[in-house]
Amino acid sequence: MSRVIGIDLGTTNSCVAIIENAQPSVIPNAGGYKTTPSMFAVTQDGKRLVGHLAKRQAITNARNTVYASKRLIGRRFEDPEVQKCIELCPYSIVRGQNDDPRLEVSGKAFTCTEIASIILREMKRVAEEYLGEPVQEAVITVPAYFNDPQRQCTKDAGRIAGLEVLRIINEPTAAALAYGFGKKADEKVAVYDLGGGTFDISVLEMSQGVIEVLATAGNTFLGGEDFDRRVVNWLIERFQQTDGIDLRGDAMALQRLKDAAEKAKCDLSQREAVEINLPFIASDANGPRHLSIELTREILEGLVHDIVNETLKTVERCMSDAGLGAKDVDQVILVGGQTRMPLVQQAVADYFGKRPHKGVNPDEVVAVGASIQGEALTAEDQNLLLLDVTPLSLGIATFGGHFAKLIERNTTVPVRKAHIFTTTRDNQTAVKIRVLQGESEIAAENDLLGEFVLTGIRRAPKGEPEIEVSFDIDANGIVSVSARDLETGKEQSITVNATGTLDEGEIQQIIEEHELYEVQAKA
Amino acid sequence: MRLEGEGPSGGAERVPRLAPGCDPARLSLTPAEGYLLSRIDGATPLSLLRQIAALPPAEVDRCLERWVKEGVVEWSGSGARFGAAPAARAPVAPASRPAAQGIDPSLDLPVEMQQRVIEFEALLDRPYHQILGVAPDADPKTIKQAYFGLSKQFHPDRYFRRNLGPYAPRIESIFKKVLEAYELLSDPATRAEVQRDLAAAAPEAAPGPAAASAASGAKAAPDPAAARRLRARMHGLARHRRAFEERKRKAKAFFESGMSAFKKERWLEAAGSVRLAIAFDPQNEAYKAAFSDVQRKAHEERARALLKEADGAYQLGDYRDAFRLYDEALHYRPFDAELSHKTARLAWKLGSDLRKAKDCAMAACELAPDNPGYRRTLGQIYKAAGLFANAKRELQTALRLDPSDAESRQELKTL
Repeated sequence: MSRVIGIDLGTTNSCVAIIENAQPSVIPNAGGYKTTPSMFAVTQDGKRLVGHLAKRQAITNARNTVYASKRLIGRRFEDPEVQKCIELCPYSIVRGQNDDPRLEVSGKAFTCTEIASIILREMKRVAEEYLGEPVQEAVITVPAYFNDPQRQCTKDAGRIAGLEVLRIINEPTAAALAYGFGKKADEKVAVYDLGGGTFDISVLEMSQGVIEVLATAGNTFLGGEDFDRRVVNWLIERFQQTDGIDLRGDAMALQRLKDAAEKAKCDLSQREAVEINLPFIASDANGPRHLSIELTREILEGLVHDIVNETLKTVERCMSDAGLGAKDVDQVILVGGQTRMPLVQQAVADYFGKRPHKGVNPDEVVAVGASIQGEALTAEDQNLLLLDVTPLSLGIATFGGHFAKLIERNTTVPVRKAHIFTTTRDNQTAVKIRVLQGESEIAAENDLLGEFVLTGIRRAPKGEPEIEVSFDIDANGIVSVSARDLETGKEQSITVNATGTLDEGEIQQIIEEHELYEVQAKA
Repeated sequence: MRLEGEGPSGGAERVPRLAPGCDPARLSLTPAEGYLLSRIDGATPLSLLRQIAALPPAEVDRCLERWVKEGVVEWSGSGARFGAAPAARAPVAPASRPAAQGIDPSLDLPVEMQQRVIEFEALLDRPYHQILGVAPDADPKTIKQAYFGLSKQFHPDRYFRRNLGPYAPRIESIFKKVLEAYELLSDPATRAEVQRDLAAAAPEAAPGPAAASAASGAKAAPDPAAARRLRARMHGLARHRRAFEERKRKAKAFFESGMSAFKKERWLEAAGSVRLAIAFDPQNEAYKAAFSDVQRKAHEERARALLKEADGAYQLGDYRDAFRLYDEALHYRPFDAELSHKTARLAWKLGSDLRKAKDCAMAACELAPDNPGYRRTLGQIYKAAGLFANAKRELQTALRLDPSDAESRQELKTL
């Protein structure tokens, strides 16, 4: 039987883990690294590079090197976050035929799903080389705040990469699984996950081997890269002050600045000050210019402290959703490389009034949790059960353009919820049920998942007929909605299919293309 | 129903059986139909059902046709279940455990868990705290522990990709109901409401949904949205109560019809009806108490009929059938030493199952330790099985009990 791998498909780095001899272990890649950069590049001579190889050549080939594409996956081109990326990224982002952002690399426009699949395929390969056997099944993690299209795109990416995705689980949940693995204690755990591109906070309760998500909150557009960006902007401004040159339009310089900023940020977790040296960063009539600026921990903290405070507001909201006070939490787990920053650790410790748990590796814990869930699903002898939740609220549009939520976000699945609705006009014989997903009170601001009409209602004064609308989410997250006239017993229903930005035909086409490429690469 | 198609009526006899996973308690049946359903055990052929049902034969056919269409009943393959000894025990299970209908050992779900699902389904109409198995005033921690415990049994992820057949949606439904109970009881606001509704609904059975919604309507009058919410909830509760009352009513009708059959000494019919009554109202102790009496009588009657048929088959020289019928009768008369002995000898003579022969002979010897004939048979069976030391011991015992037993002496000599 083939084994199930757990993949943390990160914004900046990805990681793969597996359960071996009843213990989770992180699989190192050929270079001996336990994480692989989520980067993809096409070289001048058309070679495709992934991971460390792509990262190593990123500076000289900035325009054809893609990073952080997870920020774009499952989004629409008009999305403000996509527009923000267009401004900042050295690679070019174009509008695809489904209104999705596509990444132009070496003259070919790749969908974000495709990029994700390339990285997943690499992780699959890392696992296969280590295990010496083919791998077909995986559990993949996503930020808790990913919506249905984002999750579906990730699932599609898995399929393109030749993986059957058993489950998509939330990153903080995975971290809690990793922490809870093999523990008997009853505890309430907060997972503070500040990764490259996203921030998530989840509060979970574990007891008797069951893990329940009490609340989750997050921000899909707040992460370690924002810290880097602050540093890059600061460097650009300083350089403009000293040398009068604006580096913003220079893709290669931007990539060098980004690398240097990231490295300086990491170094400042250990040291008080670092010197950033970028010789020949630009040139003008006076010849080449060199950048040499000292960055101290104090300056860095000054640049980013508002981002850290922003995360604490989200933490506060999550705690209140969970109905807990800061002192009710028994353990705080830090996930994501950015939590290595002393400022972040201090802020979290101050908020919860206790030092965060030290036992887990913030870069690896999510992949480990994913592999644990894979094992929990497929193993004969299961002793861990995750009560997973639905990420966004579901409901229907009601009179006046309001959104009536039937299933609140963070509700455990599988679940069934029903509610009685009525007519709004006299002698109304039909009602239209519009199924929505989202958090806004206003119907139009949420995503429309599907609609149908229930007819044959008895003519009656408004408010008299009773129509029971019920929502069902099964264990695989499939949503079905039905409406029933309680008087006549007439019923209508639909099953809502999650769709990513690609349709089935496009997915098949990409799979074929990749197979072709695989053959070429071997030849 | 004849072994390997042998025997007088082998061949095209149609035998209905209950579809795996079907729950008879969900159907709406008259007692006569219920009785008919209770006779369907995967062994009784259609021709016999037409005779024993309390319905005209055409009606029996119509009912079966309908149930097949509804997926409750299916036509089984020819008598495969008599091929092996364990399967021959099957008729006993539905008789002793009414809920065992729908158990399918071929599924990737332990039989005990299937039983648990069936039992739990009967709980789903009950008040929320009973679903979780906690006291009405249980504290939040207890409620959560109960919820976690039940999640470990019923969360579909526990059975990821396993072949559960019809149990997959049933387990999922149970989990959804458990979750609903947990959610309502773990939130103080909804819990108070549930308790109030329960208190209003509980005494002197079903005041009717109209009265209930009028009461809540009055309370919530100032806020129309809240009124609607309340009404929705009351509606759900009223529906539950109606379903619950309906089940109890059906149970009572079955029980009464069963008791009247009992008085007329129609034991089999009585047992079938009482069994259905318990399926509809599993908590009713009176039904359960009555059932053991009725069942004993029914077993006696069934055994009598089987023995009669078996003796007939034996006289006709149809030993295979005779053996099978004796063996089945033995389940209803496990205390009958002579029957055990007879079955043992038949099994031995047929030579098909010496282990079975030995078991029956041993049972006969245990029931009547001083019977030399039984000892002799046991000894002979041991001998046939090549267990000579055991054979010698038993034959010597037989000789000790009856020194004039020439047959045993002869057998000992040839050992």
